[in-house]
Amino acid sequence: MSILAIDTATQVSSVAVAASGKLSAELTMQAKLTHSETLMPHIEQVLKMAAVPKDKLEGIAVSIGPGSFTGLRIGLAAAKAMSYALGLPLVGVSTLRALAYHYPVAGVRIVCLLDAQKGNAYVETYRWEQGKLQTVDAVRVAPISEIIEWCGRMEEPIVLLGDAVQKKIAGKIELPAGVTAAPAHLLMPRAACVAMLGLDELAAGRTGNIMNLEPVYIRRSEAEVLWEKRHPEEAQKTLPTEAM
Amino acid sequence: MEKENKKELLTLAIESSCDETSAAVLRGGRTILSNIISTQIPVHQKFGGVVPEIASRKHIVNIMPVIDECLQEAGVKLADIDQVAVTYGPGLVGALLVGVSAAKSLAFSLGVPLIGVNHLEGHIFANFLSSPDLEPPFMALVVSGGHTALVDVRGYNHFHMMGQTRDDAAGEAFDKIARVMGLPYPGGPRIDALAKEGNPLAIDFPQALNEKGNYEFSFSGLKSAVLNYINSEKMKGHALNKPDIAASFQHSVIEVLVAKAFQAVEEAGRDTLVLAGGVAANSGLEGRLREEAAKRGVRFLYPSKILCTDNAAMIGCRGYYQSLAGRFSDLYLNAVPGLGLEDKEE
Repeated sequence: MSILAIDTATQVSSVAVAASGKLSAELTMQAKLTHSETLMPHIEQVLKMAAVPKDKLEGIAVSIGPGSFTGLRIGLAAAKAMSYALGLPLVGVSTLRALAYHYPVAGVRIVCLLDAQKGNAYVETYRWEQGKLQTVDAVRVAPISEIIEWCGRMEEPIVLLGDAVQKKIAGKIELPAGVTAAPAHLLMPRAACVAMLGLDELAAGRTGNIMNLEPVYIRRSEAEVLWEKRHPEEAQKTLPTEAM
Repeated sequence: MEKENKKELLTLAIESSCDETSAAVLRGGRTILSNIISTQIPVHQKFGGVVPEIASRKHIVNIMPVIDECLQEAGVKLADIDQVAVTYGPGLVGALLVGVSAAKSLAFSLGVPLIGVNHLEGHIFANFLSSPDLEPPFMALVVSGGHTALVDVRGYNHFHMMGQTRDDAAGEAFDKIARVMGLPYPGGPRIDALAKEGNPLAIDFPQALNEKGNYEFSFSGLKSAVLNYINSEKMKGHALNKPDIAASFQHSVIEVLVAKAFQAVEEAGRDTLVLAGGVAANSGLEGRLREEAAKRGVRFLYPSKILCTDNAAMIGCRGYYQSLAGRFSDLYLNAVPGLGLEDKEE
């Protein structure tokens, strides 16, 4: 069973073709090109590299967020349309969880940080236990400085992953003892991880509905937040449209 | 794969440049099999205008149901589609990207050609759908939220720009003034409705660049004049006569548009004038153009109300005629939010 996986949640553009237990091909780039321009040509190329014709695919996995709002939508729009046209099941995979798949090491707290702008990060922490990835602290948004401080108070060794590490942490700030930034080649999202998680999800029959699947934004738009600040009474009457 | 008779080509078109998600199926260039439009106006109303991030979030949710519905209504299978057309600009970048990404993916998955379409050219081509016997050449007056232009349409893929806006488009002035007068978004139709109750000659607002032979437009001076007037009335403690302000403002806009449009018709020697763009739904503008056209013996056409709004059928029509000229896009197609109108000859 071959699936196509897509990750456009950060500045990395990554597409992969994988089958159970095997990564067939992956194209991962972090160059100054937009996802909009490169995603479809990359999908075309990676399928060719893997020698998997598109009509032989059996599913699509897409990195669903959190991450860059626009990047997530480019990936999801492409994934949905392809899933619709080829009649393939689609699974949305957490971008943070896929990152943690990079680092299958027990006895370490894996802290995944994705840029949430203005010095903040979406953060989720994981631990590998008996070969399984377990979520320890569920996703939240927090200032990066606060997250690092919190990491310093932990007793177990900590490894940091994600684009927020590349942008704001690695080589830029001093880390507390026991806290390490992952090496550059393991820092950023890769579609191979999305594919492996996606294969598990597909096998378990946990597929998304392409008619209403949305990125996991975590945050609402600034306009909505601002509007509620200005209209506190009306804001209480209406429930927020997205979770925060 | 290529159909012998191009008139049988099925084009799937997608439009997501602003606050409508739309998909359509056309047979040939002129027959609309379906034209589904999902509008977000109610979502943006409380913000007083379109919020780009919210628009993008709605597009990504609406895009597949809209495409699915347009195929069902057209009674065609996705596999029957011969080509995919999509708006790639101008518009809100995040909004455009949803449609562009979906369209590229559909074209790749189906193995059919992709056609990137200029939204403003699409507005002009809406007239081909409303008026089946319309053929180039003709003069087009494009009046939309972000653009005001006069285009001499010499052929289906041959455009000559007579002139366009130097600063604010007419639609922008409408929106801004509506907002200052406390009218809910979208402001254009509200001003149009108010203007019917007011005196267009009550206040003497300026008509910029209204000299002969100049086809450029400028509405920022007019916008400032109206805003200054409103502020000074408020300072004097006068109650605003909103109908008169709306009527006088709209009068200034319309007279400039009408005068330039018919000068252009005359200079280019055209016998037909078409109106295009969102502001084409303005009844005051349409009425004055019709009146003037009758006086001068010029044929005047404008799209039906639904084809004046942002819709995918007009994108499909434009895309079809591009495909006849072999103007296709590759999978590198990107959104171009600042795309304008320009001379074209193919």
